[in-house]
Parts: sequence; structure tokens; C-alpha cells
Amino acid sequence: MNKMNDHSSSLSNPAGISRQKKERVITGIWLATALVAVFTIILILGFLLKEGLPALLEVGLREFLFEEIWTPTSVVPSYGILSLIVGTLLVTFGAMVIAVPLGIGSAIFIAEIAPRSVREAIKPAIELLAGIPSVVYGFFGLVVLTNWLRITFDLSSGATWLAGSIILGIMALPTIVSVSEDAITSVPQEYRAASLALGATRWQTITGVIIPAALSGITAAVILGMGRAIGETMAVLMVTGNAAVIPDPLWNILSPVRTLTATLGIEVGEVAIGSMHYHALFAVALVLLLIALIINLSATLILGRIRDSQMGTGKPPILTHEVKEKVKAVCLWLAMILLTGAFAAISGPGGALLFIGAIGTYLLIQRITTPKITEKIAFGMVTAATGLVLFTLFVILFDIVSNGLPAITWEFLTEGPRDLGRSGGIFPAIIGTIYLVIGAIAIALPIGVGAAIYLNEYTLEGKMTKIIRTGNDLLNGTPSIVFGLFGFAFLVIFVGLGVSLLAGQITLALMVLPTIIRTSEEALKSVPDSLRHGSLALGATRWHTISRVVLPAAAPGILTGTILSIGRAAGETAPLLFTAVVFSKRFLPDSVFEPVMALPYHLFILATNVPGAETQKYGTALVLLILVSSIYAVAGLMRRHAQKTVRW
Amino acid sequence: MTGSVNKPGFPLTYCVGAAVLLLAITLFVSGCVGNDSPEERRTISVTGSTTVLPVGQAAADAYMDIHLYDEILVSGGGSGGGIKAVGEGTADIGMASRDISANEKQQYPTLVEHVVAVDGIAVIVHPSNPVTTLTMDEIKAIYKGEISNWKDLGGQDRSIVPVGRDSASGTREFFYEAVMHKEEFVRTQQELNSNGAVKQTVAQTPDAIGYVGLGYLDNTVAAVTIDVNGKPVVPSIESVKNKSYPIARGLNMYTQGQPSGLVKDYLDFLMSAEGQRIVADQGFVPVQ
Repeated sequence: MNKMNDHSSSLSNPAGISRQKKERVITGIWLATALVAVFTIILILGFLLKEGLPALLEVGLREFLFEEIWTPTSVVPSYGILSLIVGTLLVTFGAMVIAVPLGIGSAIFIAEIAPRSVREAIKPAIELLAGIPSVVYGFFGLVVLTNWLRITFDLSSGATWLAGSIILGIMALPTIVSVSEDAITSVPQEYRAASLALGATRWQTITGVIIPAALSGITAAVILGMGRAIGETMAVLMVTGNAAVIPDPLWNILSPVRTLTATLGIEVGEVAIGSMHYHALFAVALVLLLIALIINLSATLILGRIRDSQMGTGKPPILTHEVKEKVKAVCLWLAMILLTGAFAAISGPGGALLFIGAIGTYLLIQRITTPKITEKIAFGMVTAATGLVLFTLFVILFDIVSNGLPAITWEFLTEGPRDLGRSGGIFPAIIGTIYLVIGAIAIALPIGVGAAIYLNEYTLEGKMTKIIRTGNDLLNGTPSIVFGLFGFAFLVIFVGLGVSLLAGQITLALMVLPTIIRTSEEALKSVPDSLRHGSLALGATRWHTISRVVLPAAAPGILTGTILSIGRAAGETAPLLFTAVVFSKRFLPDSVFEPVMALPYHLFILATNVPGAETQKYGTALVLLILVSSIYAVAGLMRRHAQKTVRW
Repeated sequence: MTGSVNKPGFPLTYCVGAAVLLLAITLFVSGCVGNDSPEERRTISVTGSTTVLPVGQAAADAYMDIHLYDEILVSGGGSGGGIKAVGEGTADIGMASRDISANEKQQYPTLVEHVVAVDGIAVIVHPSNPVTTLTMDEIKAIYKGEISNWKDLGGQDRSIVPVGRDSASGTREFFYEAVMHKEEFVRTQQELNSNGAVKQTVAQTPDAIGYVGLGYLDNTVAAVTIDVNGKPVVPSIESVKNKSYPIARGLNMYTQGQPSGLVKDYLDFLMSAEGQRIVADQGFVPVQ
């Protein structure tokens, strides 16, 4: 779109030749940064394969994937991961059952029903949910949710599939809500106007016109949410009980489960390097990566198909209308059966009958009511959905703030830990987190912005950019624990950095790189071509144009992406588990080759290993929450400011 | 387009300024906190068993209070991890709540063992559980899954929730040998990654049973009295000392070869009278 040739190198202009050389060098640099994403994904895949293959060969692919028993440390070890795969799938499925209706309902509420003042208040609140670090969710789940489940359902233990799904559902909600809401608001007003003009109620407009029109965005939202749920480690590790069994019967949501990610999180830290157990864990990471890859690919496929069907590119739809109706009916029946089973599992046949009764009543009501009444009911439910989401946020925040405030003293913020963290403070952890984040951004920002510049400014869409983008998408969908595993095997062991600040910084940088690339690309794309053309027409070289005209204009968008990445890097635990952190350290690190303390890891260890540290736990969670929330708040403010001041 | 093309505008300068300020504050503050040390500051890392961790950490804290320029980093992760770390050289001392295995001895032949304390493993239940005494066979049967309801042991009609440790745990390994006699754990056992986690879970779960090092006992859990051939033995420092408690083991710290430098100073401190007093304070039995 903006690929004009640089005509400043006429032969009669010697200065032009060196300018051209300079341009070529700069182009080369940006190409190199763009290739980093591809290179990284190849490196990660390669390493995982190299370390995981011995296990697959020894155990046999079939036994590995389809055997149920995972006991790698017993006298006769068994390496079957079927129960782990089933655990991951069940927990994700449950999370989607919770998150998709609530998420889309909230999105509809925010986009279509809420008055402007309410919308302005709710949107940042839901984005706040996105900013809460996963270890804080895990902590809340461990301390509050499992207990509540145990008491409410009269169980022996609250560490169950249901707890995992609830927490993952809450974690996937913000993604689903904001992306869906974006999709819904971008449906042109004419669609709404036309539908209403034909006499449809607002609800009929929403279900019949707007949602289908926004379908690709909503599908993207659901798939992104699913990716988030599948890749989550810390939260599931803390609430699902980690028993590697397949629930019996399959719909028993009150059974403990173990996911693939939790297995990595628990066992990598202590496994003997080079043993078969070690190789088996890498094979687990491969399976995880494969699942993430499948989701990514199907997302691209589905979105492509939806786009094709909507824009009439002439490709025949794979699903004709009758097939679609049948599929819808089958899905509905399946959902009903599964939910009935779930109710039966929780409260016996009485609950199941109640559920069936409710469905029957709904169908009956539908038959006898007018669209107006349906609309009122539907709006009521949608508002309730949003209310439930906000209520959850409130409960979590209230719990942490009320229990954590008493812990925040000057001593807590400025001293090191004593007595296993039960007294003293968390100052080295705060500084460690800051060091980690600064290092990660220092590495990821130049590479990410450089790659975005290359992709957007220097090339046409072709094979090369497709490869780079695919590599970037793959990196984006990779679970954070896989980054941790890669960082451990490659940076800590192979390169020999040892458990160090530097290893942690590089691992975090790799994790946030795809986000920075994507947001920078979006920012660069939003700069209109007319600016570039004007600059080039005045005789500037391409790099001159980019550095003086395009980049400053795209700066707010790039900065927002950077700040979001900072927030994510500050809150992540899994990439640090085996690469950078130590539990207690008196002195701050002198060099990047020493390990550090970090807030998320400190919270994790306090929550799971150290009894009698109640206030310190909550205090750490609160400090982490405040740190990450303020970062996200700054990003939000900047984005709003940029939207107001940048006018084309 | 308004004339704001070349001016970065408010967000950019603001943020760059904020970042520079943050960096400056961080560097300034870190300079103020204990980093102005002489050149020969010594650092060692101690890692491994979460059972030994409280002893290691408390001794390290006490040592560092006296010697202001030495740093001892202590972390958990399990006895398996500790032995591996000291064997591979990624840590200076490996803590283990079990003895080194034949396999490990083969892999790391130069490791030297130092027994720093003696510990019992207490079987714990929730304080509200009416079952307070069990035989070793009953405990084994529970963890094998053969007994799955408290009513079979004279308690309430509730399912038993067996809670155990993960695969790297020396506590688990010792329990596996001494109590299970190497028979397999039931698969629905919850696997937690530290003594603290087991204690916390049992304290929160009325139907749970778990096992932790003696030093982790407090009033949030109830220690089960072991019925040894008709004689009830309560897990305590005395019963471990006079060998009447059947589930007891030495707590070890392993070093690569004979210790020297800060490793030697630290271990000497731990084995001194003051160090052993710290051992006793943490709820373990001092080495004679």
C-alpha cells in the first residue's frame, strides 16, 4: 500500500548512493528483527522436539497419548497423558460454558443497552478484570472459592473441575467481552436502522442482524478466550486438586482433575535433567503447543469462512442452511444433556428435573409471548449477566483489598522477608519485578517495533510476511508455561545462564513480543498513506519518512501496546518459575546473572507453601494488584487521550 | 491534520519522563539497601526439601544477622531437586529429608552427607475429626485406597480425602518406604508441592488426611496418635528422640565434597549449640 520506490539515488547524485546504502542497511536491520519471531518459534519447537522425542520414542506415541496413568516417579513409571489431556479439555469446556454466555451477554449490554454514562463506567471495570494477575486469581480460588464450593455442595474438598472452570471462566471473560463489544459496535448503524424500520424489536435486531454481522469478531473473541483458558497454568494449578484422573462419570464436575499446564508447572522444577521423566515433560509441552496450534488454525479457518460467506467471494459455504440448522439443533440437545448431567451430579435427580422443567417452561413461554415481552426478558437476562460479571469483580477486589490493607506498612514495603516470608517485607520482590519488566521491555520493544515497521512499511503482502505473521500468531498462542520450560531448557541449562535475572528477562521478552508486534502494526496501519506519500513526494527517504512522520504519529498506539505488555510481564509467574526466581534473597542483585525475587512468585510460594503468613499473602496480592492495575490504568488513559488528540 | 505530526504530544513525553524518573528512583533506592558491601561478599545457595527449609532459613537468617556481608539464598522445591542441584553444581548445599538413593549416589559420587536434625513425620487430620488413633496398617490402607470412608475407622460416614506430596518430595519418598512399604498410592490422592500446602489443605478440609514434618504441626491440624502394637505413641520431639515413634528420619544437607568457605561456616553454625537451638525452636529434634 505504501511501497513507493526511493528515487533519491540518481547516478548523478553521489550523496544519493550513500543514502541508498544507508537505507538498505536499515531495511536489513528491520528484516532481521521481523525474523526474530519466526526464529524464536523455530527454536522453541526445535528444542521441545529435541528434548521430547526420546520420550515419545521410548514410550510410543500411542501409549503416551492414550494411556490414562501418569505416574512418572513410581517404581515402574507410566507415562500416559490421556487423563491430563482430558483434564485440560474439560476445564476449558467448563470455562467456555461459563464465559461465553456471560461474556457475549455483557458485550451486548455494554454495546446496545447501557446508557453512555454506565458504559463509560463498566468498560474500564471489565478491563480491570483483565489486569488481575493469574496468580492472584489462583490465590483467590484457593482461599475463597474452593472453600465456598466445599461448604455449599457439602464436598470433601473444593479442589475440583468446577473450581478450575469458574476461575478460568472469569479469566477469559474480559477478553471475550472487549473483543465482542468491539465487534458489535463496529456493525454499521444502517443495519440497525434498517432492521428497526422493518418493525423488529431491539432484541430481534440484536439476535437477527447485529450478532450475525459481528459473528467473525465474536468468534475471534471466543477463540481468544479459549486460548487463554487452555494456556493458563497458575490458577488451575492452585484450585483443581491436581489428581491425574479422568472424572468418573465424565460429567462429574466435582471431581479433581489435572491439566497439562499444571503438570508442567508442578514437575519441571524438580525433575532430574536428562531422565525419561524430563523428556516426557517436554513431550507434554509439545502436545500443549499442538493443541494451541490447532485452535489457532481453526480460528483462522473459521474466520476466513465467515468473512467469505459475508462478503460473497463466491466460495460455496461448507455449511448450507439446512446443515446449519441441524448442527444447531444437535448442539442444543448436547448442551441440554450435558447440563442436565451436571445438575444431576451436583444435586441428584431433583436438580436435573428442575433444570428440565425450566427449559420446558422457557419453550412454553416462548410460544405464548409477544416479541415485546421476549425483549424485556432478554434484556433483563443480559443485564443480569453483566451484573454477575461485575459482582464477581467486586467480590475478588473486596476480598483482596480488605484483607490486604492491614498488611501494607512502611516496613512491609521497604524491608526484605524474614522467617520464610511470615514477617518482614517484600521490597526485594518489588524491585525484582521492576528489574524483570524493564529488562523484558528493553529487549522486546526494539525488536517488536522493528518487526512491525518491517511488516508494515517495507514489504508487500507475500510469502515472507505470511510466514512471519504465522510465526507471530503461533508465538502469541503459546502458553506461558511453555515459555518457562523453553527458557529453563535453553537459557538456563543449554546456554548456561543459570537461574538468573537475564534468563527471566529474555523469557518474558519472548512472551510479550507478539503483543508488541501486533499493537505496533495496528498503530502503524492507522497512519493514513497520505502522510507517507506527502513526505516521500518531498524527497525524503523511506526511513526518513518513517522516523520523522509515521512513528511519531503511531507513537501513542505503540506505547499503549507496550504498557499492556508491561502489565502482563509484571503479573506472570509461569515464565519465571524455573528461570529467574528465588524465594528469599537479602541483597538486591548485583548483576543480571543472579536470581531475583518477584512479586507473583512470592505470592505463589506464600499461598501454597508457607502456613501462617495470612496478612503477608494478602499484602503481596494487594501490592501486585495495585502495581499491575495502575499500569493498565495508565495505558487506558493514554489510549483515551490518543483517541481524542489524533485526528486525521 | 492538525499540526501535531512531529510533536510527540503529551503522552509520549509524559511517559518517557515517567520511565526515566522510575528508573532513577529504582537505582537510587537500590543503592541504599544493603548493597554497599566490601568486595569479598560471599554468597551461597541452599535448596531442596521443604521439610528442612524452615531450619535452613531460620539458621540462615540468624547467621546473616551476625555476619552482615554474607548472603545465603534458601529455596524449596523438594529433596529430589535439592540433591540434583548440588550434584549438578547449580546450588552449594542440597537439603533432603531422606537419604540419598543408590541411583543418585551413582550419578553424583562426590556428595557428602551432613545430618543436621532428626524429624518425625506426623500423620494429620482435621481437628474436628473424631478419629484420633490409627495403626500403621490402617494408614497404609487409607493411602492405598482400600479404606475410603471414615466410618470404617470409627468415624463419621464421610469419604476420606487423602492428601500427599508431589514426586520430588523426600517426605513422600520416606513415607512411601516406611509406611507404604513401596506399595502404590491411590490415584485420587491430591498431590501438593510442600509441607505447608499439605497442612493448609488438611486444616481447611474436614475429611482430609495428610502427612507433614513434625516442625509443621500447630493447632490448626490434629496429629494422629500411632498405635504401635497396642501402645499409643504421640508424635513429638520426645518420642522421636527415644525412638518410640515409628516414622522418623534424619534431615540431611549435602555438599559437593568436603565443605569450605561460607558453606563450611554456615554448616558449622548449624551444628553448633546455637544452631541446634534453632533446630529445636523449629520443632525438630537436635542431633545429639
